[in-house]
Parts: sequence; C-alpha cells; structure tokens
Amino acid sequence: MNFNNPKKNLELSLNDKIELAKTIIKSAIQRFPQNQLYLAWTGGKDSTTMLWLYREVTRELKIEMPESIFIDEGDTFDEISTHVDQIRNKWNIRIEIVKNTDVSDKANTIGAHINVSDLNKRNQMEIKKIGFSEKHFPFDPESYVGNHLMKTVPMNIFIETHNVSALSTAIRWDEQDARKEEDYFSPRKSPDHMRIHPILHFKERDIWDLTHKNNIPFCSLYYRGYRSLGTKGSTHTVSDLPAWEQDLENSPERLGRNQGKEEIMGQLRALGYM
Amino acid sequence: MNLLRKLYKKKKNMRTVVIGLDGVPYTMLKDMADRQIIPKMKSLFDNGYIGPLEVTIPEISSVSWSSFMTGEQAGKHGIFGFIDIAPESFNLYFPNFSNLKCIPFWNAPDLVQKKAVVINMPATYPAQEINGALISGFVAIDLASAVYPKSLLPKLHEIGYRIDLDLNKCRHDHDYLFEDLKLTLKKRELAIDYLWKEIDWNLFMVVITGTDRLMHFLWDAYGNESHIYHQDFIDYFKEIDALVGRIYDRFSNLSGDGAPNRFYMLSDHGFTKIEYEVYLNQFLKNCGYLTFKQQRPDTIMEIGEGAKAFALDPSRVYINLKGKYPAGTVDQADLFTVREEIKSALEGLVSPSGDPIIKRIYRKEELYHGQCLNQAPDLVILSKHGYDLKGKVNGTEVFGHSGLQGMHTQNDAFFFSETGVACQKIFNVKNAIIESFQGN
Repeated sequence: MNFNNPKKNLELSLNDKIELAKTIIKSAIQRFPQNQLYLAWTGGKDSTTMLWLYREVTRELKIEMPESIFIDEGDTFDEISTHVDQIRNKWNIRIEIVKNTDVSDKANTIGAHINVSDLNKRNQMEIKKIGFSEKHFPFDPESYVGNHLMKTVPMNIFIETHNVSALSTAIRWDEQDARKEEDYFSPRKSPDHMRIHPILHFKERDIWDLTHKNNIPFCSLYYRGYRSLGTKGSTHTVSDLPAWEQDLENSPERLGRNQGKEEIMGQLRALGYM
Repeated sequence: MNLLRKLYKKKKNMRTVVIGLDGVPYTMLKDMADRQIIPKMKSLFDNGYIGPLEVTIPEISSVSWSSFMTGEQAGKHGIFGFIDIAPESFNLYFPNFSNLKCIPFWNAPDLVQKKAVVINMPATYPAQEINGALISGFVAIDLASAVYPKSLLPKLHEIGYRIDLDLNKCRHDHDYLFEDLKLTLKKRELAIDYLWKEIDWNLFMVVITGTDRLMHFLWDAYGNESHIYHQDFIDYFKEIDALVGRIYDRFSNLSGDGAPNRFYMLSDHGFTKIEYEVYLNQFLKNCGYLTFKQQRPDTIMEIGEGAKAFALDPSRVYINLKGKYPAGTVDQADLFTVREEIKSALEGLVSPSGDPIIKRIYRKEELYHGQCLNQAPDLVILSKHGYDLKGKVNGTEVFGHSGLQGMHTQNDAFFFSETGVACQKIFNVKNAIIESFQGN
C-alpha cells in the first residue's frame, strides 16, 4: 500500500481518511511495544482527534491505550488545562506532564529576564547547540530560544529517559508548508526514535467534521474564534466566529499564532522599530 | 446609426495606476527633478499637480499606508504602529492586515467590481481575497502567505520574487545594500510586467520600498557629494525614475476607449537626517514615571511595579492604567492629571545642545476617534525634524545613535496627480482615486 501520497490521500472521503489513519495506528501498535509508544497530546483539536482514533482502535482490539505526554511550555491557556483534565477523566487517559522547570522556575512572567549562567548544564549546552550566544534572554516559549528550551528539550529528555521508541504526533500536511515533506513514519535522530503521523492527510475541515460527527470534546477556545492553539501569549483570535464556521479553505489556519514573531522582530529591529 | 453605436458601445474600461515611493520626501523629489536626476518624473510633474502631503501621526509606513488604503485614521482602522501591546496580558504583538478594521478601498462596494492589482503595499500581510491579485509588502515573512490568489505563487517563485531586502545584512554591509536594492527592484518589475499583462485590471498599484530602506541606512549619502555611496544613492533614484518612466509609457499606450485613465504617485512619509535618537522610556524612567523588573530589560513587557507610563516605538506614550494593564497603577480618576503632568514633562525635553525637540504633543482624543480608541496611545509626540523618538528599553541615556542615518517626517511626503487634482492629506487620497472611478 502506498501510504504516502499527499495529493491522493488529502482528497479521500472522510471515512476513507479515518480508515487510513486507523491502519497506520494498527501498524504502529504492532511495530512498537506498548510501553515504548507514546502519544503527544497538546489539548488542541488535532491531537485530541488523534487520541480519539487511538481510543477507537485500542477498544476494537481490546488492548490498553498507549500513554500520552503533555508538554507544559509554561504559558498554557487555562481553557486547555481544563479541557485536558476533562478528557483525561472521561476517557481514562494516562498522561505524563513534562516541563522544563529549570527554565520556567526562573521566570515569573512572559518576557522575564533569564540569565543563561543560572541554568543547569543541560540547558546551557542546549542553548549553545542552537547557536545562541547572548548572556540572557527574555522568557517566551514562542521565541527561538524559548521554543527550544520549553518544547524540544523536555520532550527529548523524556524520550531519552523513558526508553521511548515511537512518538505519535498529530501534524497535518495542509497545516503549513514545513509539514509537506513529512511521512506517516518518519525516523528521527538524537534521540533516535520513530515519529508516527496518523492524521497527516486530514484537512482542517475534516478535523471539525469528525469532531462534530462523533461528539468529540474540544477546547472552548475554538468556540471563541481561535483556530490554532499555541501559548497564551502568542495566540490570538482571528475572527469572532467559532473556528469551524470560519472560511477554513481560504485563510491560513495558523494566522493567529504569531509564529514568525522572531523574524518579524528581526526585520523591525533592522529598521530601528524595536 | 449614432444612437445604435452608442447603445452597443463597449463598456468603458477605465485604468488607474498608483505608484507609491515609500518614504520619498517632496523636497527631495523637487530637488532631484530640478537637477535633472529624475527626468521622467520631472516631465510628469511639469504637466500635473505635485505637492507636499501630510501623513499620519506617528509617521510610519504601516499606519500611513493603512490610512491611504482606508481613508481613515487609526482610531477607526486599528493600526497604531508596527508593534502594539495586548492590554490584558501585556504581551507585545505585531498588528498585521488581519487586524485592519476598515475595508481597503479596492474591496469597498464602489470598486469591488473592478479588477485590482496591488503589489508590495506595506501592511497587507497576510494576503487577503481581492478581485485581482495582491502581493503583500513589509512586514511579510512568508511568500506563500503574501500572495492572493495562491495560484500566482509558482510564477513568483519562477521569477525569484523578493518581498524585501535582507535588511539585517544591508544595514551593515552597504555594498551589499546596493546589490540587493537593484536585485529586489528588478524582481519587483518582473512581477509588475507579469501582472500588467496577466490581469485585465482597472486599478494597478505598486509600492517601491527600497527607497525607505536606503534612506534609513544611508541618508548621509544623499546630500554629501564626497560620500563614497553618493553616486550609488543617486543612481538608485535614477533607476526608480526609469522604472516609473517605463510604467508611464506603457500606461499611456493603453488603448483609449473613451474612458479617462488616471496616473497618481505618492509617498507615505518623508525623510530627514537623524540628529539624535531620543529614547522616551529612558526619559520616563529618569523622571520617575517608569520602572523595570530588571536593571537591563529586554522588552517593555518587563515593566516594573509603580510604573505610571511607558512608550512604544515610535513616539507613542501610554498611561499605565489600573484595570487596563495587569500591572496598572494609575486610577481612572487620576488619568488626565497624570497625563497632563507627563505631557508637560515631555514638552520640556531639549537636545544635548539645549534646542527644543518637540513640535507638538497630541492627546489621544485630538488624533483619534472611532471603535479602536481604547487601543490608542494616550499621548503621541510629533518631534522637530532630526529627533527620532524611540521606544527602546535597554539603554541608559536619553539621547544616542544606533547607526541608522535617516528618520521619517510627517509633513514632507508627496502627492502627484496627472489630472491636476490636489491632495494635502493622506486621508483624502483614497477619495481622489475613487472619484475618478465614479460613473465609469
């Protein structure tokens, strides 16, 4: 079966998309020991859909659900935490919450000043690794340094220390250009593990169709107009309409995410605006 | 027969061209025209109206072009600067096209039936639907989100379209600056050529932004003939002149089918030499109005306890109001007293050599009205030419230099119309353009 055919798979019917995702999930479950396969859950619509699909498959096969990991970036919306707690109880999900507290403990607020020399060896080494050479930086999980320290580092440490051989995440081809080259099974190095992407071929519209059709709970922020959820400080609404009522096909999903923040700041700084 | 001919006459297909030259001052254009540096533009100016144009306060591209495209001030259109602060979280964010609260005129009911091409208009990122084509300008970080319709993307990739210069490199490497200016202009013209033919447009607008970059980085090269980049500076304007000439020639060759065609040019602010950058937050700190949590803060988000006011780039002062901002200290009842006190303090600002630097300080309600008033700065300062008011937080001095040579001016932008229609304020340009469409 030729799994990785973005053009074709993006145009399948919703039912075929669900079946394809389930096939990938079954194959992942067969390939990796139950205690070495983890699901990355952010509380967002995509990873909640992925969780629901795993739940369907494991109930069908009468096996235990793989454990989830939730990365606390240090600026999480209360609405996301509430949603995660609700699903966790309702579906009886086992969840590990990981957080780079060595960094977050040194910042009371977003934008707080962190001295590199106050951090532990691992974090100092990681900062060096990404080529950042200043002595201090403002705490912001969506900045270049912050993103690495608050997302990548705790996830990598978790993978290293928990003997994780596969991590399933809910990225989608149509979400942003950077995802275009991804495959359903994508091996990763340092640390060595397999990334599994069962819903790569879902479009944003499919996620909402599936969510509503199956009454899958979703975070209340989507109802208030948010389309894609990041940290509290970097995510904005782009419309007053609920996410699924917006013009999903003709406007970028991650519009409210301020994702190019660093690049925008760099350009503004060059012209003296920062 | 005449009647029949009238009845069957093809619908008039009127064409309007607008060329924006970002940051180009009226006085500079006059000077260059007089010295025959820009002969093509000179012959246009000799046969139409050209005059100075007052723009928005603060006089920066995102605000000014937003006012151009909506005909409104920021209290209505919601774009107060390149940077803004979200009151509830005190986080910095970067207002963009999706924050614009008014409809740009090409999408307004009067014109939406007409086809429009908009190339490199600042403050139109991410690109939105248009009856025609739009390529966003500064700040636009990802070409894929800067293009409408998306089907234009392969063509733009093919021509190697560039949204802007490599600003960080160009700021320091001035040899590279001129290479990049030329390359970017060339790519811009390829996009112009392509869309000119590809779309059967009624309105064609393009903004050249390299002019603004050049004047920020190398203003000194303009007036100083012994400057090593003087000739390069002049040559770049000659290239702009040649490009305007090519667009105009093509425009005049459009088949006249009875409908009047129109040709306009304008800038969004002027430019002048920086004498000093003035760091407003340091001044507020020295006066005891502003504190930070750290000795050397990185951003305004590190505002400290007891702060009564803060400034954002450029020239915008906000009162740290209780209930509005998380660390707000000023009671609503004291707002106006505190604001007047800070206004007086700012009015006393003089340069290191004792010259007054403030032209006028505006209270919020003197500049703005409309649905976004609550977002507006409490005070906006208009400085005398040469004093660039900055929101920098991490210095120790009130006056300094950062390596930039040119700053914007508010009363020295320009407006040109071939028909002789005059326009003195950027808010009125939209109507001048729309009126020419009426009845056609």
